[in-house]
Amino acid sequence: MPLSFAPSAIPVIETRRLILRGPEPQDYPTFKATFTSYRARFMGGPLNAYESWMLYAAEIGHWQIRGYGMWMIHDRDTDETLGMAGGWKPAMWPEAEIAWVIWPGKEGRGIALEAAHAVRGYLYGALGWDTAVSYIDPKNLDSIRLAERLGAVKDAAATPVDGNDVVYRHPAPAALADSQLAHGIEMEIGHYADPLFKPKGWPID
Amino acid sequence: MTGFALPIPVIETERLILRAPRESDFPAHAALMASDRSRFIGGPQEPAFAWRGFSASLGHWALRGYGMWLVADKADDTPLGRVGFINAYGWDEPELGWHVYAAAEGKGVAYEAALAARAYGAAHLGLDGVISYIDPANARSQALAARLGAEVERDGEVMGHPCQVWRHPKQGTL
Repeated sequence: MPLSFAPSAIPVIETRRLILRGPEPQDYPTFKATFTSYRARFMGGPLNAYESWMLYAAEIGHWQIRGYGMWMIHDRDTDETLGMAGGWKPAMWPEAEIAWVIWPGKEGRGIALEAAHAVRGYLYGALGWDTAVSYIDPKNLDSIRLAERLGAVKDAAATPVDGNDVVYRHPAPAALADSQLAHGIEMEIGHYADPLFKPKGWPID
Repeated sequence: MTGFALPIPVIETERLILRAPRESDFPAHAALMASDRSRFIGGPQEPAFAWRGFSASLGHWALRGYGMWLVADKADDTPLGRVGFINAYGWDEPELGWHVYAAAEGKGVAYEAALAARAYGAAHLGLDGVISYIDPANARSQALAARLGAEVERDGEVMGHPCQVWRHPKQGTL
């Protein structure tokens, strides 16, 4: 019989509203729905069904090769998947990045902020990263806004992946720890988590 | 680093070791996929695409419970090629696939590796009497399939590319 591979060795990260786990076979349909859609236009997509499957397999392979990778974001209460966030570094990339994607229809609730803040804390803390970037398509305004809410700033001196991206540099671990920025991020997440809080304006990730 | 490692089995043959691919194998793989020698297996490809295929071969094991091994020289661990079972999106059923890197060509590496992988699949993975998709122009792979005792079953296609479907004998009937 085919072997059964438990993803149990991938650490689980829990936040106020989310549980982040490694990508599992049963999570694939929502990944495919996003990466074969126009939603993936800033992430090399839309992909065809074969490319999408191969990318999902590559997400899992990344964990084995690097020892870190992209977590699947689950709703803490319903377990439904909402997107992915984590560390990402294909071959020949200049640096490891902190990356995120939120499924269509799940934006506007601060999910990406909460997930990206948590994975950055894990990559800095448990894995000892001393810096991190995010490579973002300059037309991807939602992601640029999120990078800025996370305290990342444009790093013009850093090498981009292929020149079609802008490099945002995250605050270093020491600059982030117990900072006004970190407290502000946690307060913003708290406001999203509080059902009485109704943000005005259009949804942002 | 975390301890995440897929428990991919290791197979030893007389000259070879079949094991999980690792990052140090990628340059050899990228060189194959950048060259014209990859024309029957989806290439030539840019390194970024080759990387996706390379890392996806690990995730394939997690998603399907079987996959491809990296074939290395038993003596010094030099990467020589890949062999194993492929069942990505668009495949009719699991296939036994193989390719060797340029320096390893002509030494019977693919034959030795494919024989071992096929036997392992039949004995341990529930994969017996599998197919191999082979491009109609890929005479070398056709010769290897014939040497392995496989026969052409029908014309088929993968990813829109016409190919021959070869059927391997069940291990019990060898």
